[in-house]
Amino acid sequence: MSSAQPTNTISSKPVAVIDIGSTSIRMAIAEINNMGVVRTLETLSQAVSLGRDTFTTGRIQRATIEDVVRTLRSYRQIIAQYQIENQENIRVIGTSAIREAGNRLAFLDRIYSATGFDVDAIDEAEENRVTYLGIQPLLQESKLSNGNVLVMEVGGGNTDLLVVRKGNVAFSHSYRLGSLRIRKTLEAFRTPVAKSRHIMEGKIQRTIEQVREQVPDHGPIELIGLGGDMRFAAMQIIPDWNPLSLGQVPRVELEALTNQMLELPEDEIVQRYHLSYPEAETVGPALLAYVLMARAFDLVNVLVTNTNIRDGLLKEMAISEAWSEDFHKQIVRSAVGLAERYDVDVKHAKRVANLSQELFEKLQNEHQLPARYGIILHVAGLLHEIGLFVNSRSHHKHAMYIIKNSEIFGFGKKQLLLTALVARYHRRSSPLPKHDDYADLNREERIAVAKLAAMLRVAIALSDSRSARIQEVKCKWENDIMVIYVPNVDDLSIEQFALQQSGTLFEETFGTQVLLRPHRAT
Amino acid sequence: MSEEPRFFNRELSWLAFNQRVLDEANDAEIPILERLKFLAITASNLDEFFMVRVGGLQIQQRKAPDKRDPSGMTAAEQLAAVSERTHEMAQEQYRIFAEEIEPQLEAADVRRLAAESYSQRHLNALETLFDQEIFAIYSPQAVADKNDFPQLTNQSLNICVQLAGESDDSEEEPTPRFAIIPLGREAQRIITLHSDGGYAYTLLEDVVELFVARFFAGIEVQQSATFRISRNADIAVDDESADFLQGMEEILGARKQTACVRLEISSKVGATMLQFLQEVLEVNDEDVFKSPGPVDLAAFMQMTDLPGFDQLKYEPWPPLPSPEVDPAASMFEVISRKDVLLVHPYESFEPVVRLIEEAADDPDVLAIKQTLYRTSKQSPIIAALKRAAERGKHVTAILELKARFDEARNIEWAKDLEQADVQVIYGVRGLKTHAKICIIIRREPHGIQRYLHVGTGNYNESTARLYGDISYMTCNEELGGDATNFFNAITGYSQPQDYRKLEAAPAGLRDRVLDMIETETLRKRQGQKAHIAAKINSLADPKIINALYEASQAGVSVKLNIRGICCLRPGVPGLSENIEVINIIDRFLEHARIFYFFHGGDERVFISSADWMPRNLDRRVELLIPIEDTPSRHRLVDVLDVHFRDNVKARQLQPDGTYARFDVGKRKLVRSQESLYDQTKRAVNQEEQYRRTIFQPHRPESTTIDES
Repeated sequence: MSSAQPTNTISSKPVAVIDIGSTSIRMAIAEINNMGVVRTLETLSQAVSLGRDTFTTGRIQRATIEDVVRTLRSYRQIIAQYQIENQENIRVIGTSAIREAGNRLAFLDRIYSATGFDVDAIDEAEENRVTYLGIQPLLQESKLSNGNVLVMEVGGGNTDLLVVRKGNVAFSHSYRLGSLRIRKTLEAFRTPVAKSRHIMEGKIQRTIEQVREQVPDHGPIELIGLGGDMRFAAMQIIPDWNPLSLGQVPRVELEALTNQMLELPEDEIVQRYHLSYPEAETVGPALLAYVLMARAFDLVNVLVTNTNIRDGLLKEMAISEAWSEDFHKQIVRSAVGLAERYDVDVKHAKRVANLSQELFEKLQNEHQLPARYGIILHVAGLLHEIGLFVNSRSHHKHAMYIIKNSEIFGFGKKQLLLTALVARYHRRSSPLPKHDDYADLNREERIAVAKLAAMLRVAIALSDSRSARIQEVKCKWENDIMVIYVPNVDDLSIEQFALQQSGTLFEETFGTQVLLRPHRAT
Repeated sequence: MSEEPRFFNRELSWLAFNQRVLDEANDAEIPILERLKFLAITASNLDEFFMVRVGGLQIQQRKAPDKRDPSGMTAAEQLAAVSERTHEMAQEQYRIFAEEIEPQLEAADVRRLAAESYSQRHLNALETLFDQEIFAIYSPQAVADKNDFPQLTNQSLNICVQLAGESDDSEEEPTPRFAIIPLGREAQRIITLHSDGGYAYTLLEDVVELFVARFFAGIEVQQSATFRISRNADIAVDDESADFLQGMEEILGARKQTACVRLEISSKVGATMLQFLQEVLEVNDEDVFKSPGPVDLAAFMQMTDLPGFDQLKYEPWPPLPSPEVDPAASMFEVISRKDVLLVHPYESFEPVVRLIEEAADDPDVLAIKQTLYRTSKQSPIIAALKRAAERGKHVTAILELKARFDEARNIEWAKDLEQADVQVIYGVRGLKTHAKICIIIRREPHGIQRYLHVGTGNYNESTARLYGDISYMTCNEELGGDATNFFNAITGYSQPQDYRKLEAAPAGLRDRVLDMIETETLRKRQGQKAHIAAKINSLADPKIINALYEASQAGVSVKLNIRGICCLRPGVPGLSENIEVINIIDRFLEHARIFYFFHGGDERVFISSADWMPRNLDRRVELLIPIEDTPSRHRLVDVLDVHFRDNVKARQLQPDGTYARFDVGKRKLVRSQESLYDQTKRAVNQEEQYRRTIFQPHRPESTTIDES
């Protein structure tokens, strides 16, 4: 078959990701090509005192909201320059300062009405997942892949911690230890400088104790510090640090810098180090947390990387854009692992998955879906029977929530949801607007889910003999009917019957009946 | 070591620079109209010096009389020294004008006629001119005292007329009265006269004075004299004002009323009139400059273009098309093939204009971001920006309203650009945007591409024919990212981000330069080879000078090519014996800033918009661009090198602050600007020969489909 294959030429699209954090709003404009390569074009940041508001008063002040609006409006202009119009290509997230604000909903509504940005206030787990996506390449390529790695980011409200063992996330947690929270405590106590250090250390130590319990005390350990404060420290201590590489900050020097930051008045820090006021307020306590953590594990160096949550967001967008062969395999491996955990008949599942894939390719002209949906269909094929683990009754519905709440490497929330829906619709009801998650999708996604589920149903029918006798098909239009020829098979009665049982989703979606016919060599 | 201060005084160093330009006017080897041009330049330089520097010093004298500059002088001491030097300089200007230039011009049949040498034919013509044009336009304003003295325009010519007082029958001589006739800035100063051969002209003030009695029918004119005032222009705009554009316009109004820092007046002025003018203008004796020749020698600049007298000028060296730039290809194509470095004015500025014009018309260009500091009157670049905006591209222009003496023009541009939907940003609060950069964001099949022009000179295609500057065009990914971030920072879209390659003032430029200098010092101390070379317009920053002293003391060889101010004292044993400072004054104004560091053999070369002065490093937005492209880097090293080999136009700064010409001896003569022009010519010829050996058939418009 020689149809046009648009995926062969490199094309790319600009995207924007914005992260509304405790002390700043940062944006990255990047370009993602259909090979999934991310190229950052611009990075912007503006200081805001969201964290200060949330962590001291519990609410975001009016003036701060308007600061955020102003910044986001100016970011809109940059986004417009790149003609990024599709909402799919713009992702705006908010972290703990928004999550924990009492007036979170009012804030989000105001931002939406003033700027058109739909801010996704993500939770800690999601934050950790996205962060991991960002630093994962780093963990894979360096020697770090052998030992235990603590990935730590001290934010204004929380400290996020990932424990990575041999490249896999062994543990992740978000602690309520943040530089702004520390400052708040100090302000509440109205302590003199000398004593405040003591209080800070105490507060940080308590968290470190909790962390220690999660980290095995055997084998080498490395600590990677993420976030603006640590980047700032690295810039000061290693002047020729290439931010694209992993920097090594000697703990002794980090301690010296931290002491200085804790002693200097904010004005002086702003003047001398060109930091913004919100940053100057928090840099000292944040660095102290890294220092104490390094000390707790008796580390000589703290590693630092320029990678941040925006890289994770971009990576996620890139993943949904295209999967490299290798990535594809990892996704499948991860999905198979999930299937095994739920006692799925993996052999059968793989056959269904492969046939789905075959149909996806052969029906390219009919479904017109981009390649990234192919992998969703494949994974849905692998997992369509996962709900049997719970109960055979309504197992498609169990599949829905199991998949939706699981983790598949490389899949973001959106892909998980799409996969879950396709699996859900592999039997019984066709997608209906009254189905909750389905109704929340946009039109393109709704149509995609219906098409994928329809193809999945055909693939399941073709595998109904539970044997490997059907592995390839040919698809042909005959008198407005889609005929699927199956080579080297004489009798298709089982499959024909299964197809009839599988409902009318294919006809509803593609507007045609589908027939199975044996294909004999002539 | 002597007790000499470690630094030269900045004002005196600047005056020494102007003296070097004046020396060119005095150089018999140079064609006479070029000498006149150098003379006019020294005059206009002094005009600016008085407005900006002397005004500033006078204010400092009042506000901080005890403050000393790095050379240890108070404002009063500086003013006294400046006054002495400028009076000497003015005298020499008029001596050169009267004894050297005018006689030689006359010998070449270019004659200035004064009233006594008008022929009858001249008189008839001039009388008609006076009656029909001058009389109608100019109106004398009678002045009784200080309070009704007219607002005189800064640095424009006026005639003061002394009239007999009304007799009141008393014994005493009646007090004379005065009237002022402002000639305005737009007036045609040079009036061409009929001449049977060669060229004859007279000056407007001579004509007005000749017929001046006609303004005052029935009153006795006792005397008339031409004069001109310079006002302090060192007043800062209130950056915080709500409407900056309006604030700037108010400043321009205010500048008309600031204190008079200099009164230049025809030396024939009588004591009574001079006393009157000094009184009403509040001018001290030391601020009066009596001119034995025409007031305002800068006006003779227009004479230097006199058509038909090419033998009195330098042979023309028109800018040549750079062999780097294929005229048949679009600039985007040219730059995407390889980085382009242009050395102006030897190489034409046209590719830069073409880049921006093509960007305006290219459907794939999404955005253009550009700084504008000084630009030409009919700027094709501004026209292109307007066109781009009208075609729906996002165009952002940072237009520096604070560009001194170009404010009025820039305000007009700002309004004009805004009308065309260009997003205009009036510079950065508290800082002058002096960086020269243009970013073009273009959508290409393989993704977004950023094209960049950075330079050491203004976006002004006229001055690019006369100024020695560097242009660098690239689509380098990292520089493109940095440049975009830089632009976001100065336009307020973002806080400054860390740069990967470039560095910007005021945040990090000085630190980076200091760092580069200190690295050389360190390497030298560790026994490595170390070398620093730089070409800049001015060196006055104490931190950088001290770092250079330290480098010298460590044994680093430092070569500086500094056109103007240099506060560093070179060649002093124990302080700076390894530092050599040269400068070059020739037909093109040396304006490029190029920095070179040996860096252990991994040579680092930068171009920059910034001089090494506190003003540039602390109060301006400036750029430092590393040039990593190997051919471009070599080219820059070569440009630096050619200048350091100059022994014709170069002078060397001595430890005592004087400048000495090189003793050539038997060595080959090297005139760097000529060498650079010849080099360029050779390169162009080579490229032409090469192109001639390749046949380029004319093909019909290509209709081939994209290879896919």
